[in-house]
Amino acid sequence: MKMLVLVLGDLHIPHRCSSLPAKFKKLLVPGRIQHILCTGNLCTKDSYDYLKTLASDVHVVRGDFDDNLNYPEQKVVTVGQFRIGLSHGHQVVPWGDPESLALIQRQLDVDILISGHTHRFEAYELDNKFYINPGSATGAYNALDNTVTPSFVLMDIQNTTVVTYVYQLVGDDVKVERIEYKKN
Amino acid sequence: MSFFGFGQSAEIDIYLDGQESRKTAEVKMEDNKKERLLLYYDGETVSGKVNISLKKAGSKLEHQGIKIEFIGQIELFYDRGNHHEFTSLVKELARPGEMIANTSYPFEFSCVEKPYEVYTGVNVKLRYFLKVTVVRRLQDIYKELDIAVHTLSSYPDINNSIKMEVGIEDCLHIEFEYNKSKYHLKDVIIGKIYFLLVRIKIKHMEIAIIKRETTGSGQNIYHENDTIAKYEIMDGAPVRGESIPIRVFLAGYELTPTMRDINKKFSVKYFLNLVLMDTEDRRYFKQQEITLWRKGEKTRKANLQSPLVATHLVNSDADRAPKPEEVPVLEDGAVNEISEGIQNMTREQGDGETQKAPQTHE
Amino acid sequence: MSSYQVGLGWNKHYSKIFNGGMPTTPQQLSPVEEQEKLLDEALATVKNEAFKMKRCLDKNKLMDALKSASVMLGELRTSLLSPKSYYELYMSITDELRHMELFLIDEFQKGRKVSDLYELVQYAGNIVPRLYLLITVGLVYIKSNQMFRRDLLKDLVEMCRGVQHPLRGLFLRNYLLQCTRNVLPDVPDSDSDNPEGTVKDSIDFVLMNFAEMNKLWVRMQHQGHSRERQHREREREELRILVGTNLVRLSQLESVTLEKYQKSVLPGILEQVVSCRDAIAQEYLMECIIQVFPDEFHIQTLNPFLKSCAELESGVNVKNIVISLMERLATYSQRTDGMSMANDSGSPMGVPMDVQLFEVFSEQVASIIATRQYLPSEDMVALQVALVNLALKCYPDRVDYIDKVMLGSVEVFQRLGLERIEYNELVAKELSKLLKIPVDHYSNILTVLQLKHYAALMQHLDYYGRKSLSMYILTNALDSETVIPSQEEVEQALSLVSTLVTDQSDQPAGEVDMEELAEEQSLLARLIHQFKSESADQQYLILNSARKILGSGGQQRIKHTLPPLVFQAYQLAFKYRDLKAEDDIWEKKCQKIFQFCHSTITALVKAELAELPLRLFLQGALAIDQIAFDNHETVAYEFLSQAFSLYEDEISDSKAQLAAITLIVGTLEKISCFSEENAEPLITQCALAASKLLKKPDQCRGVATCSHLLWSGKTLASNKQEMHDGKRVVECLKKGVRIANQCMDISVQVQLFVELLNHYVYFYENGNDQVTVQMLNQLIGKIREESPNLESSEETEQITKHFNNTLDHLRARIENPETDGVSYEGIEI
Repeated sequence: MKMLVLVLGDLHIPHRCSSLPAKFKKLLVPGRIQHILCTGNLCTKDSYDYLKTLASDVHVVRGDFDDNLNYPEQKVVTVGQFRIGLSHGHQVVPWGDPESLALIQRQLDVDILISGHTHRFEAYELDNKFYINPGSATGAYNALDNTVTPSFVLMDIQNTTVVTYVYQLVGDDVKVERIEYKKN
Repeated sequence: MSFFGFGQSAEIDIYLDGQESRKTAEVKMEDNKKERLLLYYDGETVSGKVNISLKKAGSKLEHQGIKIEFIGQIELFYDRGNHHEFTSLVKELARPGEMIANTSYPFEFSCVEKPYEVYTGVNVKLRYFLKVTVVRRLQDIYKELDIAVHTLSSYPDINNSIKMEVGIEDCLHIEFEYNKSKYHLKDVIIGKIYFLLVRIKIKHMEIAIIKRETTGSGQNIYHENDTIAKYEIMDGAPVRGESIPIRVFLAGYELTPTMRDINKKFSVKYFLNLVLMDTEDRRYFKQQEITLWRKGEKTRKANLQSPLVATHLVNSDADRAPKPEEVPVLEDGAVNEISEGIQNMTREQGDGETQKAPQTHE
Repeated sequence: MSSYQVGLGWNKHYSKIFNGGMPTTPQQLSPVEEQEKLLDEALATVKNEAFKMKRCLDKNKLMDALKSASVMLGELRTSLLSPKSYYELYMSITDELRHMELFLIDEFQKGRKVSDLYELVQYAGNIVPRLYLLITVGLVYIKSNQMFRRDLLKDLVEMCRGVQHPLRGLFLRNYLLQCTRNVLPDVPDSDSDNPEGTVKDSIDFVLMNFAEMNKLWVRMQHQGHSRERQHREREREELRILVGTNLVRLSQLESVTLEKYQKSVLPGILEQVVSCRDAIAQEYLMECIIQVFPDEFHIQTLNPFLKSCAELESGVNVKNIVISLMERLATYSQRTDGMSMANDSGSPMGVPMDVQLFEVFSEQVASIIATRQYLPSEDMVALQVALVNLALKCYPDRVDYIDKVMLGSVEVFQRLGLERIEYNELVAKELSKLLKIPVDHYSNILTVLQLKHYAALMQHLDYYGRKSLSMYILTNALDSETVIPSQEEVEQALSLVSTLVTDQSDQPAGEVDMEELAEEQSLLARLIHQFKSESADQQYLILNSARKILGSGGQQRIKHTLPPLVFQAYQLAFKYRDLKAEDDIWEKKCQKIFQFCHSTITALVKAELAELPLRLFLQGALAIDQIAFDNHETVAYEFLSQAFSLYEDEISDSKAQLAAITLIVGTLEKISCFSEENAEPLITQCALAASKLLKKPDQCRGVATCSHLLWSGKTLASNKQEMHDGKRVVECLKKGVRIANQCMDISVQVQLFVELLNHYVYFYENGNDQVTVQMLNQLIGKIREESPNLESSEETEQITKHFNNTLDHLRARIENPETDGVSYEGIEI
């Protein structure tokens, strides 16, 4: 069975951005996506409601600028044969450090660990585990990174394979890259 | 004509000069039948021949003289046998003597005066005839021949239009206008009705032509009214400001010229009766006399080709009337100015069918 | 009705043939049945007489045929039929009359005299059959001899006055109109008298017929009982097309030029329409004029047409009429746009240069509103809506036109004394519609801001109306991503949506719906990111202005609106850093900006917020560290110390405390600008705070997090390199183990040990020589020792997994040691 999972986060609307890029909105049509995994910093209910329009199954963890206390710090979601861990990542010191993130991966016992906070897209395998950072969907400001590119990730999960598509808005164009991960 | 089957008898024929080419006119006779008679006008000579033919050949006819008379007379039907001759001319055709063979006598009444027009009414008849008499000792032989006479008139010098405001206070107030007061018999009545105030619901409006024949005098005066024509000129209820055209062709109706006090025996007058009927079958009417006259034939046909349109009264002074305003009949409360010139109309209850002769109130 | 005995004498037989039939007497039936019965009877007579008529015509017996025709036409004298039934009867009869017409045309071509017949049919005693016959013969007459056309037309239309009954009159005149449709003179006027007639005669003819028909139609309204009014109005609706056909006929005359239309046709129609004083007629006929005549004419006759609109009855929906015309012309000007060459006058294509479409409408709409007292206010606004639509379609560049409408609308409300219109009123809906048009059309808030009277007009909406519109404006600005590039425009924009910015005097008292407030404030907050000037200095002014305005919004609002300003300010500071080569005093400006941020965040603190300002201070510290302007260390320290104060004074929830200290540590880990004297207290403070957390597990985790500060944290002392203070890292971790040991819950204790083990492993692998294999073995042993004591549960299972994963990790490292990596010798797995 084929599953499409949208992974995105760090929207920071309205603190740092006015909205999702129009080009992204155009791509994200309701009805295509089965699950949404959000790394947090939706900041407002509006943004959450928007995600709900795209898919009914929306998972959100708490970002450092989320007011909503109901969002958990971490979450494990099973999609197909994959255990996927979700954490915003600001709790992991140093921020975005792969070895620190590996700590969380081990703790959550997941195949894929998704985190955010750095506003920079990453997707890599480490010790046979897969790590994804979808970056900031709005390309929100980050004091530590002056070249934030808006990005999100779409995971196509089939059996033991995840094909990850990263969508990045470079200038006015949406660029898509494909990265494959196979579970042992 | 013989009582005993013996003695000579004769037939009289009156032959009028030019009778083959002379115009004729249809004249109603007493029995309501119509006859075509030779037509003469006032002052025209009436001439011709009297042919007397003997019935038995070879036998002679003794007579006391033969004469021909031209007679104009008025008969009043309630006074039968009492004929009033207003014209009586005699010519002797033969002195007393014997007639052996068929004989023909020419005669001539030159430039004879024919002051009145032939007329057959309800109570009166006016006729002209020639009478030939063969005077005999025992039994005269005679023959009469009726002729038709039409009195021609020239265009009247004065022929005003009839224009009048009439009404019933706070109820109906109209102005009517007929283009003339004197119409010739083939004329067209053109006119219009202008509604100044309408507070009744009118169903329709018609014009009637009424002929009134008056005979006798003093206590023995008789009026006969005859509705010659009824002509609907409006259907439905107009409102204030509406102007309704009238056009009545007279040629289609059986009319005579107006006759006034003919030989002090009778008169024939014509009236136009304007009748409005409301939804409750009340009738509102106004009679107005018109004079009818006969026009010489030659001048007719003037407007043969063109339809009678351009001289339309309503057309010609449509601008005169104030702009018609649409006011609902039942809500009209504004008009209250009934000028003094307004004459009353007559209002009658009834179904309009059993209409008695309308009376004018003036 | 009586039957008429007509005439005596030689042509008595002519006149007698016209005796009409008696109307039939109805029986007791339902109204519908009765109508059907009456109609059937009438149609039967028609069929019968028509048959006789045609047979007589076949035998060439015209007089007898006329007699039958007259009897047939007599059926039209009825008063008993409904308009619908009467129409059916009329259609059937006029259809049969065609046979008569064709016969007569044939006869006259053979040389029969027409004039006699024209007179002859006038002997008919009853007017209705008489006039139908007169029209029929008249038509033949015209066709056979054009020389009398003019006079005949005049005569016919005049004679029809005799029928004053509305229904009968309307159909009679309709017959006249139908019969004459192909014979109306349609040549231009000439000086010479032309008996065939010219277009002028046709105009006079149709106009008169129109006026009379309209009067009859109007009169229907006043007949009968007032309770049947609705019924009557419905009947009138059914008949209106008869009246309208006159206008169609006029429009079909080719010789009706613009000039003719201006000088005689339109004035004639309008005079009748206005003077009839009947709302139904006026509304229909005005609409008719618009639909029937070409737009080229309308454009040149706007003034008279619209002036008349102002004079119509109070019941007339003038709004619809005017709007209908406007929409037509707007469409027209657009339609011709593509076809004709552009002209330079700036007037829309297809509209002649001398016609100021907008001005005329604007003026006339104003006068309609002024003169028509009973015009509902929503209609007045609807007219303005139409004006705006017209202007936008025809003059897309003329923003001043739109503004003029706004001003006009303001004046209308002032005159009406309408200060505030309640949200649910019709007029409020119209007004909202009016105000939304420029928003939608321009999709550019800057253009809307150019409308000087827009804001004033908006003030006539009540609180809810303004709020709703403000949100609409904001949503539009956001969707269209309009950048607001100057301080002045920012001020104007915020003033435009001031209903959302500050408390309003007409705001309803009582509880505020926080969710609703969040939604609306979020729009406002988002817009701030579109306040963008190319120039950094300008941007600073913008932010300052926005801060002043938004700052007055009160506690509930600033929570939403100030953070975006702070982030914008941080970004501006980065911009100055990038401009350092061009701007000598960029550092001063940066200081100013951070002062601005400081005060802005402090405003949030004053609004009794804690977590949000804390995070904003931390974000500030990060930015300051990055930008590294003169004196930035002090400023960064100030921001961090503010964060600490908030932490200490305002955050009491243990979970929030842990989150906050974790964030502070994470932030501090990224900051490298501090010298020893500032770094040390901050690090100590973090460790202290962590160890002072309420719950032991939190303390343990907090301390463990702090250990990273001592390893990868950077200071001036470490030359902005990771300090790698292995000793203190281990001290921290040991402290963690101590705290874990104090935990009473074994399961929590084991979990903490596994977590700590991971931290040890982390540092061990990162080359901290203070972490020894013994330490790892000791911890692993401890976990192994305690694990069997755990109750079996999901939690335990997780802990076991975590532990196993950790061991697996170590195993993997042992099996595949990295080159130059640390040695795993001696580890007991």
